[in-house]
Amino acid sequence: MTQSYTTDPTDGDAEPILSTDDLTKKFGTLTAVDGVSLEIPADRITSIIGPNGAGKTTLFNLFTGKYEPTEGRIALRGDRIDGKEPHHLVERGLVRSFQINNFFADLTARENVRLATQAPYTGFRPRDFLAHHRDLDVATESANRILERVHLSNVADETASNLSYGQRRHLEIGISLAADPDLFLMDEPTAGMSPEETRETVELVEEIASDITLILIEHDMHIVMDISDQIVVMNEGMVLARGTPDQIRNDERVQRAYLGSE
Amino acid sequence: MKSVMNLAADLKTAIGIGETTGPIGEQVLSSQGRLAALVVAGVLAVFAPVAQAFEPFWLNILTRMLVFALLALSLDFVFGYAGLLSFGHAAMFGAGGYAAALAIREVTTNALVVLPASMLVGVAVAAFIGWFSVRAKGIYFAMLTLAFAQMFYVIVFTDLPATVLDVETITGGDDGLFGIPLYEAIGIDFTSRLLYFYLTLVLVLVSFAVLVRVANSPFGRTMQGIRENEERMQFIGYDVQRYKLLAFSISGGFAGLAGGLYVPFQSVAQPGLLHWTISGELVVMLLLGGMGTLWGPMLGGALVIYLEERLAGFATWEIILGSVFVVVVIFAPRGLAGTLISIKNDPRNTITHVKQALRNYVEKVRG
Repeated sequence: MTQSYTTDPTDGDAEPILSTDDLTKKFGTLTAVDGVSLEIPADRITSIIGPNGAGKTTLFNLFTGKYEPTEGRIALRGDRIDGKEPHHLVERGLVRSFQINNFFADLTARENVRLATQAPYTGFRPRDFLAHHRDLDVATESANRILERVHLSNVADETASNLSYGQRRHLEIGISLAADPDLFLMDEPTAGMSPEETRETVELVEEIASDITLILIEHDMHIVMDISDQIVVMNEGMVLARGTPDQIRNDERVQRAYLGSE
Repeated sequence: MKSVMNLAADLKTAIGIGETTGPIGEQVLSSQGRLAALVVAGVLAVFAPVAQAFEPFWLNILTRMLVFALLALSLDFVFGYAGLLSFGHAAMFGAGGYAAALAIREVTTNALVVLPASMLVGVAVAAFIGWFSVRAKGIYFAMLTLAFAQMFYVIVFTDLPATVLDVETITGGDDGLFGIPLYEAIGIDFTSRLLYFYLTLVLVLVSFAVLVRVANSPFGRTMQGIRENEERMQFIGYDVQRYKLLAFSISGGFAGLAGGLYVPFQSVAQPGLLHWTISGELVVMLLLGGMGTLWGPMLGGALVIYLEERLAGFATWEIILGSVFVVVVIFAPRGLAGTLISIKNDPRNTITHVKQALRNYVEKVRG
């Protein structure tokens, strides 16, 4: 394989929460992800960076079950998860947020989150069909806690499409948090934000990272260098380098391929 | 694939039709609405004997209107409320009807046995069609349901079960099954047309209450979420395909019940019940009535049957129905239900709304 490692970034202490082995995804003749073998350490922030088309979002889509890999394996805490459907992975504590807001625009912020907190408490028993959804108090209470956490309590009854851009991005994160994950994949949480909104979001991301393993796709290099424990640099579907922010900053290949161009 | 779906969506927005008046994030049917439903049922109950005394034919029309209201309701539960564009509901309607015909002929005329059997057959047919179709989205789902429904039509029309089992006849082929009697007993004798009307009225009301209840349940909420954003529901942790299959099967049960009520009343089960034109007519009923409200399509169903009956004398009745449809599309894009809601919420601005609708039509559709 052509990929190379700068160093072993797992520091040898924590067992990886997510690992991939020779992960490959082809779309026709295009190889979007090409033989990626990675380990994501638990309780850390890992950022995936790389130029557009490097395969970052495809990697997310593979991790979260949206795509099936063409080749290779993905394991969550040692159990293989490739080929599993998204809802199975959510049950196992793996969630994602989306680069483009992907919620229920016509519902209120609270109802958006409530739909998500309701999921673990509903199934196909008679009461799930015949009880009133508002009587599911656990879901509402849990939704209120999440809104508090993503700083949206004051706009809980606003329709999602009426929220400001920054608030909508926070709602996007809140919906994913509702599943009570231990691994959270965030696709560009600060994209398109004003400096003020970005600062608030970075604070939120760090708060979330205090008890959840995070994998971020992020373009803002200052944020990446600032908050990441591990950085994975991708280029043309392959892992170009992997290491701590300092190691990545000083890596020549990375500078040539990516950082140098900025 | 995406582009076809976008096209369908654009088309829907362009002509403004198919906009759901679905109460997003709110209670389906307010307490006022419930009261109104009971009042309508009460008026029908009182009106029926009067109508029968005056002109017995009216009772036939009323019963047919009720049956199609139920059928439109069952379709709206998946089509308008859950966003599954079924163009094959005639299959469940017809299957329920044939199940009733065969059960009455061969087993019993007891409604307590036959009607649940019709529902179960409706559920089974819907589960079969749904199992093959729910992974497809939008227009593809519509085409699959249409194709499967036509397959069932052909099975009934050619009496395929009889060929397979090597007996003389089961479905009666293109003639259908004749001389199906009315239900006889659940303690009451329903061979009286008036009592049959009451049986239908009660079952339609109960079905409506049950489906409204389900629409407001956590399951109903989940279906609404799937209608709005299927992908996100998956990533929230819902087994979307299973939910869709269940919603489709539940709907199929009520379509089957409608068939079970219709066939003994008409005393005949014929392949036309499963024909795609019935599915198509149902979609018209939904659009006229106002998709996603559950009660709107019931009005739409009743209205279409009424017009059909009253205008059938004119050779051009389909033109009249078509004209009504066009007028509704232009002036009341959210159907009868949408119009009634906006008049109720804002009675003074009714004229403004009509003008706005006309302006939308001129600007958006005519360019």
